[in-house]
Amino acid sequence: MEGILAAQGIIIALTVCLALALLSKYLTIPAIPFYIIAGVVLGKSGLGIVASDQISSFFADLGLIFLLFFVGLGLKVDKIADNSNAVLTSGIIDLNVNMLIGFLAAYLLGFSFIEALIIAAAFYISSTAMAVTSLIENRKLMMRESEAIIWLMVFEDLVMIIVLALLSAGNQNLFFFAGKIFVGLGVLYILAHYGKEFLVSILDREDELPVLFTFVAVLATAGCALYLGIPDTLMVIALGAAIATTDPDAFEQHARPFKDVFLVIFFVFFGISITLSAGINIFVIAIICILAIFSKLVSGVLTGIALYGSAKSGIEIWVNTIGRGEFSIALAALYGSPPVAATIAVMVIVTSLVGSFAAKYSDQLRLGLSGGKRHHGPPAHRTRMGH
Amino acid sequence: MALRSLNLPGVGTKYEFETDKGDTVALFFTKTGTIQMYTLQKGCRTPSAAEMTPVEARRLGNILTGAIIEADQESVEIAFSALADLRITIHSYIIPPAIAGKTIQDLQIRAKTGTTIVAVSRNDKNIINPSPSFVFEAGDAVLVIGETDQLQLFEHEIMVD
Repeated sequence: MEGILAAQGIIIALTVCLALALLSKYLTIPAIPFYIIAGVVLGKSGLGIVASDQISSFFADLGLIFLLFFVGLGLKVDKIADNSNAVLTSGIIDLNVNMLIGFLAAYLLGFSFIEALIIAAAFYISSTAMAVTSLIENRKLMMRESEAIIWLMVFEDLVMIIVLALLSAGNQNLFFFAGKIFVGLGVLYILAHYGKEFLVSILDREDELPVLFTFVAVLATAGCALYLGIPDTLMVIALGAAIATTDPDAFEQHARPFKDVFLVIFFVFFGISITLSAGINIFVIAIICILAIFSKLVSGVLTGIALYGSAKSGIEIWVNTIGRGEFSIALAALYGSPPVAATIAVMVIVTSLVGSFAAKYSDQLRLGLSGGKRHHGPPAHRTRMGH
Repeated sequence: MALRSLNLPGVGTKYEFETDKGDTVALFFTKTGTIQMYTLQKGCRTPSAAEMTPVEARRLGNILTGAIIEADQESVEIAFSALADLRITIHSYIIPPAIAGKTIQDLQIRAKTGTTIVAVSRNDKNIINPSPSFVFEAGDAVLVIGETDQLQLFEHEIMVD
């Protein structure tokens, strides 16, 4: 069993992450910033205890492709069409405001055109997982704004897929590239369509087959895509979307353990790979972090006014969408140069923590903003005094 | 009362309805397995919420259908339409100290009331179909099956002994 020792870095990193995950659940704060900070501390910018190697990068890649597989499983384009008006309004405001502010800020602060584009995309896309958790944990699901927030996350996921496609095209001939993608998509959809009964019969089994099948399907799709020169990221999303036409809940259930474990490895080794020394300007990063919080306020308030005629609704949308997370990190890991990756990492840490606190105290925030110069204090306290 | 159900991607399923008086009740079955219930009084802006585990939610459901009589004693009535509308009730009771030490046979439960003890729970262990020689201890939770008036007899004849 000496092979296990070859992965001792992963074991150390995961043990630290487990302790931090417990802490983050106890404090009800998102765990992603903890994983990244743990990676930075353990990695080459910190104590240098853990370094990435072939084994860890394989596991980290698994985490990323399972995350993308879940994005595909959750894609429900038909449902978007049902609520198209509200989804489009909020989605387009969010896209334009944040992409524009993110891109201009990064470009003017000295990043190259491509780097600024990647930062803008990471700057734009809020964390779906954090938004959903925040709505559930803070008991906000009944708010009228929460539906808008949920659909906004679905819209952002779609944009991210397009961004991934554009970035992965690189210098290839676009027509040839798009052709290959469409052929790949077609094959997956035909397999899902004609193999539906076979898939369902496998998923219904009680033995190890459903889990084994899910794992192999995701891995084989990524492998084939790489072999054929099509981006594996897109094909894994496409696999999820194609498979979602059969029994998405069963696939989610079977793929969840892989995602849960490997994604933590992905986050912590992303942190480990970060170099904080290479031409990083703290001033630049700080400006981007502040703008990242501010630009979601602008887009949130504009959306609130457009959908409900209320800036206060916008505050509610804002607090739940401040946190950037898994997708920003994915973009940084896939396409970011070291300074870009470090910038995005700090932005994710700052926005996810600020977002989590803002969402917890959104009622007070709203009151503070609308109440103007009235006496301070939480609302519950004030009513009790009135009795 | 119009019930609206909605699938929210990534969150779960939402059910919402407005009562005749204009209050709103919303229920969310989240993917994390918990159930959240929100109530919004007519004219109010902020709802109040309660988060429940599936077990708690089922208990609440029992209360709402009128099945639970006392906090630690629950009953469920089942109607079998195939058996000429047979309505059978299962009820739980806690054994009082007065009948501790007696057996099912001593108490003549079936002869006196027509009910049957189908299970006993003692210290978190369940005994299914206890034999007539089973000795009760104070604090045992028993599950009794019978028709409603038979169960009333059980309450008046056996539980007070």
